[in-house]
Amino acid sequence: MTKFLDVHGVNASYGDIQALWDVSLKVNEGEIVALIGPNGAGKTTLMRVMTGLHQPLSGTVKLGNADLHTLPAYQIVEKGVILVPEGRRLFGGLTVLENLELGAYARRARDLRFRTLKRVFEIFPLLSERQNQRANTLSGGQQQMLAIGRALMGLPKLLMLDEPSLGLAPMIVENIFEVVKLMNNQGVTIFLVEQNARRALELANRAYILEQGRIVGKGTGKELLHNNEVRQAYLGFAPTPR
Amino acid sequence: MSIESFAQTLVFGLFVGGIYGIAAMGLALVFGVLKMLNIAHGELLMLGGYATFWAFSTFGMDPFVSLGIGIPVLFLIGLLLDRAVYHRIVRLVGEEKIKNSLLVSFGLTLVIQNLAIWLFTADERTVQVSYAGVGWNLLGVTLPYTRLVSLLIAIIVTLALNYLLHHTYPGKAILATAEDFEAAELAGINIHRVYMMTFALGASLASIAGTLVTVIYGISPSIGIIWTLKALIVIVLAGTGSILGAFPAGILLGVVEAVSGAFIGSTYREVVGLVIFLLVLILRPQGLFGRN
Amino acid sequence: MQEMTIAQRTRISVHRWLPQAGIIVLILFAIFFPRQVDKQNTWNLFFLICLHISLGQSWNILAGFAGQTSLGHAAFFGIGALAARILWFSGMPFALAFITGGLAAVAFAMLIGAPTFRLRGAYFAIGTLGVAEVLRITVSQNIPLISTMSGTLIATYDLPARYYLALGLAITTTGAAYVLLRSPWSLGILAVREDEGAAQATGVHVLRHKLLALSLSSFFAGLAGGVFAFQQISYYPSAPFSPLWTFDALLITFIGGLGTLAGPVIGAIFFIFVREQLALNLVAIHQVIFGILFILIVLIFPGGLVEAWERLRKIPYRKEK
Repeated sequence: MTKFLDVHGVNASYGDIQALWDVSLKVNEGEIVALIGPNGAGKTTLMRVMTGLHQPLSGTVKLGNADLHTLPAYQIVEKGVILVPEGRRLFGGLTVLENLELGAYARRARDLRFRTLKRVFEIFPLLSERQNQRANTLSGGQQQMLAIGRALMGLPKLLMLDEPSLGLAPMIVENIFEVVKLMNNQGVTIFLVEQNARRALELANRAYILEQGRIVGKGTGKELLHNNEVRQAYLGFAPTPR
Repeated sequence: MSIESFAQTLVFGLFVGGIYGIAAMGLALVFGVLKMLNIAHGELLMLGGYATFWAFSTFGMDPFVSLGIGIPVLFLIGLLLDRAVYHRIVRLVGEEKIKNSLLVSFGLTLVIQNLAIWLFTADERTVQVSYAGVGWNLLGVTLPYTRLVSLLIAIIVTLALNYLLHHTYPGKAILATAEDFEAAELAGINIHRVYMMTFALGASLASIAGTLVTVIYGISPSIGIIWTLKALIVIVLAGTGSILGAFPAGILLGVVEAVSGAFIGSTYREVVGLVIFLLVLILRPQGLFGRN
Repeated sequence: MQEMTIAQRTRISVHRWLPQAGIIVLILFAIFFPRQVDKQNTWNLFFLICLHISLGQSWNILAGFAGQTSLGHAAFFGIGALAARILWFSGMPFALAFITGGLAAVAFAMLIGAPTFRLRGAYFAIGTLGVAEVLRITVSQNIPLISTMSGTLIATYDLPARYYLALGLAITTTGAAYVLLRSPWSLGILAVREDEGAAQATGVHVLRHKLLALSLSSFFAGLAGGVFAFQQISYYPSAPFSPLWTFDALLITFIGGLGTLAGPVIGAIFFIFVREQLALNLVAIHQVIFGILFILIVLIFPGGLVEAWERLRKIPYRKEK
């Protein structure tokens, strides 16, 4: 596996409050990498830095040999790094179809949009049925499907998902994770931020733990699932006596 | 009042309302996308009117043909204003942004108005086309050609804007940015370009309205603020973030003004609209502009 | 308790008396200088400065202290001018007409205050602009004829008397703003400016504080209108309702420093001096220049001259932010 995404020494702040401290992580091509951590650890800030929505104080973000941290958000999308943001952030007043078309706004995706659209409709047949409905009339689960569908329309090389299971029924969460696995099988690299740590660790090849703005642990999904501290802090196990 | 004269009043209200719609559409577009209130919108309209007057008095160009000059000129002025001024405000957030846009555009109103006095004098100018005063008689109701063409242009512009926004990629990028600018960035849209283009488009729409105003009423440097207020009234009537809704709302205002003018005297015609505006604002505070 | 060094103590005491002394010198200068020079131009210049101090300071009370950016200030100025002029010309002693003009502005402000204060921020701004325009149009359509002083009034016209009225009003308005800032109301008013929701949550009666600021603001703006009506030989009754008066108030306050006591005073002095210079040389272009200056201040230097001065002195004279 080749080195793909490389985040190195990122410091970031909101006003006077530093949110990220010297964060470094790597995602190899074809992997599923998860980032877990408590609320307010800085996970969303890291995603915002990686997608160009937030300017870091220092540090670099690279995709292959190209710098991402110097690019505006729309050019990062053009490179194939696409985020499904927390809270979905759909264009609520526009139709399902318009949302999907906007997902393919980037040059590299626009020409192929009809083919991609067909594929997205195969994955989410429901979106095809509701394509002329306004996005804000969909249910929460359907909105999450649309958010992922919109991201897929941009032909991601690296698909980033910020809390995709937040506020969804377990059935739908399963469905979403299935799609993520499917995309990964088709060659899309996945970077996943999740509060549902167990599900994320089961799915991921590797994972990082972010606490109070610092990376405090990393390992393969399996390792972390069996790590005592992780089990206590994130998986709801009582401390086990040795 | 006879049926004919009432019908005539209604029809004139309809014609005026079409202009109100176009005047408001540009302001609504800028407000919806940049989240800024451009009080200088009426001044841009006034500049568009002078483009028409200039083309007519210098080359004898038909005012409706002069749209071909006014639209690109105001588009350019819009680009320049965005780069020089509004671009610096668009980065601010929420209330701070809207307050600064109000203050800055209030200042700009003064600048443009006085530049116009300097360039064109404070006199009122009119454009007298050969077919002015001629019209089509329909069941005793006169439909002057100038007003008929103006309404037609207003309708065409509305349809064209609808097509642009809902059926082209640049238009969808504008709508997406209006809905959620960060999500738009994440979809690969260069929002600062969208802001610039939207502002220029808004200025072009103002220019079209300015041409229609010049043909029907004439023009002077001081008309700007009156039209800004008219446009604000229409936006309030049209409701939250509605861009194309400005057209029917404009028609509504035109008809209401014409009818109330006929019944309670033309002295209070202007006031009626403003009173409606204040009532709607007060009875539905924040509700009509803001989303929250 | 911590001991202060002698140097610190002198600095503080210097700071204590320096402003007061400066103010007294300034007032004495304003009283005696025009009389010493005794030229029409000087009286006029000083009159305009004082009128605009009152205009700017009255707007500052509402917008700078209470945070309510009104674009309808001309309405209060206009009502004050209209009422004072009509009553005065119909035989009421000027002093009474003048006060009544101020009270008429307050009455109108209270009438529109409660409903428009339901609007926040930008909605309040355009709402007040709308109100002022309704008034301007109504007045210009119902009283279209120019208002001119009678022959007897012109024959006994006394410019210094106008000036001292304007000076007295400028001092009173600024004094009132000072008293307001030292009063128990000031905390609530500043809280409303900073965060209305938070102020409400901590038990500040938001509407009452806004109305207090509005009544003071409209009263002094109305009185300023009365001074205008007293000074002008002839004008269109709709002229004092022009949005330009609102703009002047904004410009003066922003040049000097929004939300500071000295701001409108410094702003008015600067504004009138520069305007009169420009008007001599460049006629109509001065409005263009002021418009651009205003935009630059809002964009680049929102603190105005007061902040520039303080930054220059590097004195930790903190503005409540």
